[in-house]
Amino acid sequence: MSIEIKELEHTYNANTPFQHAALKGIDLEIPEGKVTAIIGQTGSGKSTLVQHLNGLLIPTAGTLDICGFHIQPLLKIKDVKELRRKVGLVFQFPEYQLFEETIEKDIAFGPKNFGTSEEDARKLVNEILPYVGLDESYLERSPFELSGGQKRRVAIAGILVLNPDVLVLDEPTAGLDPQGAKEMMQLFMNLNQKAGKTVVLVTHDMEHVMNYCDHVIILDHGKVKHESNVKTFFMHPEWITSIGINPPGLIRLKLQLQKKGFDIPTSVLTMDELVECVTRQVKDHA
Amino acid sequence: MHNIALGRYLPLDSVIHRMDPRSKIMIMLFLMISIFIPAGVYGYILLAIFIMITLVLSKLKPGYALRSMKPMIWMMVFLLIINCFALRTGTPLFHIGSFTIYSGAIKQTLYIVVRLMMMIVITTILTATTKPLDLTLGIEKLLKPFEKIGLPAHIIAMMISIALRFIPTLIEEAQRIMNAQASRGVDLENGSIKEKIMAILSLIVPLFVSSFDRADQLANAMEARGYDPNQKRTRYKVLKMTGADYTGMALSLCVMAGCIVIGVLL
Repeated sequence: MSIEIKELEHTYNANTPFQHAALKGIDLEIPEGKVTAIIGQTGSGKSTLVQHLNGLLIPTAGTLDICGFHIQPLLKIKDVKELRRKVGLVFQFPEYQLFEETIEKDIAFGPKNFGTSEEDARKLVNEILPYVGLDESYLERSPFELSGGQKRRVAIAGILVLNPDVLVLDEPTAGLDPQGAKEMMQLFMNLNQKAGKTVVLVTHDMEHVMNYCDHVIILDHGKVKHESNVKTFFMHPEWITSIGINPPGLIRLKLQLQKKGFDIPTSVLTMDELVECVTRQVKDHA
Repeated sequence: MHNIALGRYLPLDSVIHRMDPRSKIMIMLFLMISIFIPAGVYGYILLAIFIMITLVLSKLKPGYALRSMKPMIWMMVFLLIINCFALRTGTPLFHIGSFTIYSGAIKQTLYIVVRLMMMIVITTILTATTKPLDLTLGIEKLLKPFEKIGLPAHIIAMMISIALRFIPTLIEEAQRIMNAQASRGVDLENGSIKEKIMAILSLIVPLFVSSFDRADQLANAMEARGYDPNQKRTRYKVLKMTGADYTGMALSLCVMAGCIVIGVLL
């Protein structure tokens, strides 16, 4: 079942001098089993929106249907606890959530909170470690002696171990080197393709959107500005520039070539197609 | 978390907002002393009138000042209960089981609650009308004379301003970690004592780790820019007292004197 969001509104500090409307009526459908990117400038409401997906925030108005849960205003936390297991939310810089003495204990923390026995939790930890590229030698080490990238892997394992149906990632590659970022994205793609998990990705990196995502949502000032599949999205580079984000390299190259007089159809979206299109025109010209 | 009203600056434009932080701190000091002068009901009425006028002048909503008392309600209730059972002066009023409640106890408790409420309102007005940085600047200037006896006024002020500066950052950080742990199934509201301790631990450890990180980074950043607490420095902002400041201080001194007179005479 896809995630359906209807007229969702969220206001922080309602009825105080600090009142601030972060979401002003969001209507969305996030397709199941696909990778959806949510993009937008700082303060556009991305983080507020994703925190609704696992019930951390309850809407001020509107409704949200996700994994069989119907979220509406005034819901109690008790009612949504199980949703937190079904929707795994990985925050920005998740390495800051590590606190246990050993990596094993830290990863097992989540399952134990949801009532899994000590023994089963340990088994789950052993199963999840290879997914994030760590081996058993790490189990007894302290998470605080790892490098930044490794810490993040442990933190993400702490969410994956819950085996969520939907995985929500808030800038999972921020602060990683290009190689680390690529490996991280590959990990999520595997989960999407092999385990069929729905992935929601908040990102600023248009290359990631182009290479990994199926569906794109642009938020602007608490509203949905555009929503489309990734192909249509990149056929409209003006959508990207209108919210102050730089298009990916390929699109920039395409725009430059068009300026120079090449006739490149909007449907050209891969390097191979672009190369073919350009060589054909150069040959014809000669 | 975001609902903490106590100690937050409210950017409004009022006479009180424009006053010099030094005089505001002095007025607060005079009023605090006045509160502890045993001047009975009349003293408190005098103080309450002065505080009310200040509150109106500061353009703060009375509801805001009231809300800042919310965290103190339980303390007040606790004090009420303790006092009722501990004090045995005045005339016996009624019995609860084998305990006798005396009129003196009720009176004394009400005094304490009124004192507490007035102190909260005064400090709320001070912090809501003064930017944290101005406040520390005021403290630094007021402590200046004590440098002669070896009090490091500038260092104290710098520590206070750093602490104040990081309160919102830490609240935000705590909120973020709470959200992250809640996503891992931590439930701070329900669950057994053991689960709750574990939940709090999962919040405090990361908060400590990141605070030490931040402190380290801040120290490095300050040193990289050549910060030396013992150097003489000039100020971008120079404090200046105006008529409102002198009037305010004079009036609050009058209130203090009034309380002393009432206390001695009655």
